[in-house]
Amino acid sequence: MDILLTLILLLPLAGGVINACFGKRLPRPVPVFIACGAVIGSFLAAVGSFSLAAGDGYRLVLFTWLKSGNFQADVGLLFDPLAAIMTLMVTGVASLIHLYAVGYMEDDSDQVRFFALLNLFVFAMLTIVLADNLLLLFLGWEGVGFCSYGLIGFWYRKSENAAAGRKAFIVTRIGDLFFAVALLWLFALFGTISIEGINAQVAGLDMTTITLLSLLLLVGACGKSAQLPLMSWLPDAMAGPTPVSALIHAATMVTAGVYLLCRMFPLISLSPTAMAAIALVGIATALYAATCALAQNEIKRVLAYSTMSQVGYMFLAVGLGSVSAAMFHLITHAFFKALLFMAAGCVINLAGHENDIRRMGGMRRRSPLVFWLFIAGILCLAGAPLTSGFFSKDLILATAFAHGDLFHQGLYGLGVVTALLTSFYCFRLAYLVFGGDYRGDELPHEPNGLMLWPLWPLALLGLGGGLLNLPHLFGGDSWLSGWLGREQDILHLTITSEYLLIGTALAVFALGWLLAALRYRRYVHRPGSVTAEFLLNGWRADELFDLLLVRPFKKIGRFCSQGVEIGLIEGVLSGTVRGCNDLGTRLRGLGAGKVNLYLHGLVWGFVVIVGWFLLRALI
Amino acid sequence: MIVPMEHLLILATLLFVLGLGCVMVRRNLIMILIGVEIMINSVGLVLVGASAFWQQVDGQIMVLILMAITAAEVAIGLALVVYLHQQKKSIDVGIFDEMRG
Amino acid sequence: MIATLMFYLLGAVALGATGMAIIQRNPVYAVIYLVKSIFALALIFYLLGAPLVAALQVIVYAGAIMVLFLFVIMMLEVTPTSAVEVTAPGWVQWAPVLFLALTLVALTLILIGLDPLASEGVPRWHASPRDFGYSLFKEYALAVKIISFQLSFAAVGAFHVGMTERKRAQLEDVS
Repeated sequence: MDILLTLILLLPLAGGVINACFGKRLPRPVPVFIACGAVIGSFLAAVGSFSLAAGDGYRLVLFTWLKSGNFQADVGLLFDPLAAIMTLMVTGVASLIHLYAVGYMEDDSDQVRFFALLNLFVFAMLTIVLADNLLLLFLGWEGVGFCSYGLIGFWYRKSENAAAGRKAFIVTRIGDLFFAVALLWLFALFGTISIEGINAQVAGLDMTTITLLSLLLLVGACGKSAQLPLMSWLPDAMAGPTPVSALIHAATMVTAGVYLLCRMFPLISLSPTAMAAIALVGIATALYAATCALAQNEIKRVLAYSTMSQVGYMFLAVGLGSVSAAMFHLITHAFFKALLFMAAGCVINLAGHENDIRRMGGMRRRSPLVFWLFIAGILCLAGAPLTSGFFSKDLILATAFAHGDLFHQGLYGLGVVTALLTSFYCFRLAYLVFGGDYRGDELPHEPNGLMLWPLWPLALLGLGGGLLNLPHLFGGDSWLSGWLGREQDILHLTITSEYLLIGTALAVFALGWLLAALRYRRYVHRPGSVTAEFLLNGWRADELFDLLLVRPFKKIGRFCSQGVEIGLIEGVLSGTVRGCNDLGTRLRGLGAGKVNLYLHGLVWGFVVIVGWFLLRALI
Repeated sequence: MIVPMEHLLILATLLFVLGLGCVMVRRNLIMILIGVEIMINSVGLVLVGASAFWQQVDGQIMVLILMAITAAEVAIGLALVVYLHQQKKSIDVGIFDEMRG
Repeated sequence: MIATLMFYLLGAVALGATGMAIIQRNPVYAVIYLVKSIFALALIFYLLGAPLVAALQVIVYAGAIMVLFLFVIMMLEVTPTSAVEVTAPGWVQWAPVLFLALTLVALTLILIGLDPLASEGVPRWHASPRDFGYSLFKEYALAVKIISFQLSFAAVGAFHVGMTERKRAQLEDVS
């Protein structure tokens, strides 16, 4: 059993390392087999060890990594219910994406690097999921950051791609800084960095400490999950290949922040201020991202903002105190967002490698299969009734509603507005891409079989995933909440409220569809209005950051390099050199054969000697 | 003695200093030699004053010897000046710097 | 007392003349001023009881050495270190010269007329030429010999150094 657990981590690591070191020398299909085999093997190992996690979970310590004084960091796995379900999702979705990537990247010359990075990324993500202490989690945290940098900037020869990779790395790093501070503070408080250990001892702290720690963890999570204010890297990260977007920006890295908060839930739940902050950040991001998605013109950017918005919903769920709602939405979102991204990759190929949805249209006729798979994802995203997206989103909104007080009612209202916007942009995307006639002039590039087959399981999971946490009203027993040990997340509302909530959700879904149909069914080329420009640029957040942060930083850099470095240091050194040179030249003048100089020397020397003796005689 | 020895010495010193200034400041070789003459003159004054002070004649004899030596030195010095003038067509002391290094 | 006064006056004249000498641009003028200073010093020597030395100062120093300077200056046609005079010397040039000259003349006349050496009761020591000669040729005879050697060295040296290229070449041919 231990072996199975260890294999979950080791297989992707081995696959990545082998590919990185030897991949170039192996014949063409072998690295791909190694990579896919590693991840699929990891998935099977996760399935095999799933039962271990029931109840309190299973702890396995592999070896001690660092030990100094009373600081001890082991490489240990904490396989509790939360970790188990997350592992299954990560490895499962990653396997499907690897298969998809084989088809997607078949013409690329840099395959080996890609699959090596992809495997290493899965390894790092699993480290985050399975770690039993915060330092190991931080290792995985940094690992996903690095791998995402490598993967986003994969086609580095175009400088925008490299810049996008850098931007992702730097912005998430800012969040990591806050996380690191929280980690050190927790160690200082408790003398241990084991997650279980910390969670057990939090009851004794005072409220300010808890609030501050939670806020630090929140900022750290915001970095990785692209929430406000550290969200600007996600839209640019679409410069990477589509499998990367599917894996990193749908299923895994952006959910790492949510996962962290769920892991540290005993800590953060003690502070109402922190919870309110988390909820506010979540809903604000959800609303912001939904508005931006309305105006995007590239298919992947719409999906990126959509991811940002849905992760905001997950944060909202955590802030409302419902871990199971957050995890439920996390899992269902992973399914349908990965599906949507991969289908978008197929659509891009169908449109002749064209990204802009204004130049698409009529894709339904080009490939009905892709059309239906994409629609399946859209329905889940928009919250069509009985899809998984419907259940998970509804659970979050219902939790907000159930709190009863004005603040949470306000959150509920905003959530409903965001859902309306979500539905609207989803169907906008669908109509613009698939409806009407083809507006471009490229020939289709038929997607590979391997690019289509992995989409089926995801579509099925997306449509049927609601069964994971079916509420009582629909005849289910909220399995996920039970599995996670969080029965308190199961809501007990009156029948009327339940129907009210469901009705509102349905109405919002239908209204969004209707409005989108009215506006986009027949494509009319509208020149961009000012609002559209504003939303297209993400509320000009990038420019704001540039003004506030980047430019002062560059000024400081320039000051240090030119002012201090060149002016001061080199000035001092050059000045010394020049001074020495001048002195040397002047001294050299003494050695020239100038009679005048010699006479002067004679006389002055005489004066000095006589003066010396006179002074000695006098004093 | 008609004046205290100190006054004589002060006069001699002043003359000596004037001669020294001439040597140091002037760029004309001949003027430098004239400065040397002035300095030798002041030394002669001191010798005569000393002989008057000690009331012995030796100081005056030394002055005579001094004058003879001065004559010899001036003769050779001026011959050298003539020679240098032949070489460089100028008697500016800054020009003769081949003893450098 | 008069002697004391004269000493100070003569000292002033000597200093003034030397000062003028060292700031002249034209070496000839400098030499002339120096001659004036030598005259003043000669008179001081006489006041200090060295009449023979005073005479020798004028004859040898002013008469031979300074004349030699003048010979060489004129032979080299040394241009003064500033522009050649374009105007005749005005009273700015003549005034100090006149002053010094008149003072010297006056003092000499006074000296000759009053003979201060005999005007005080206390016999002043002075070295008469006879005493000077005795001392020179008795005690310092060796010095005299050496001086004569030196004068011959000087003559030979001056002759050799002062030769022109042509004469040098002629000499080489001969030897």
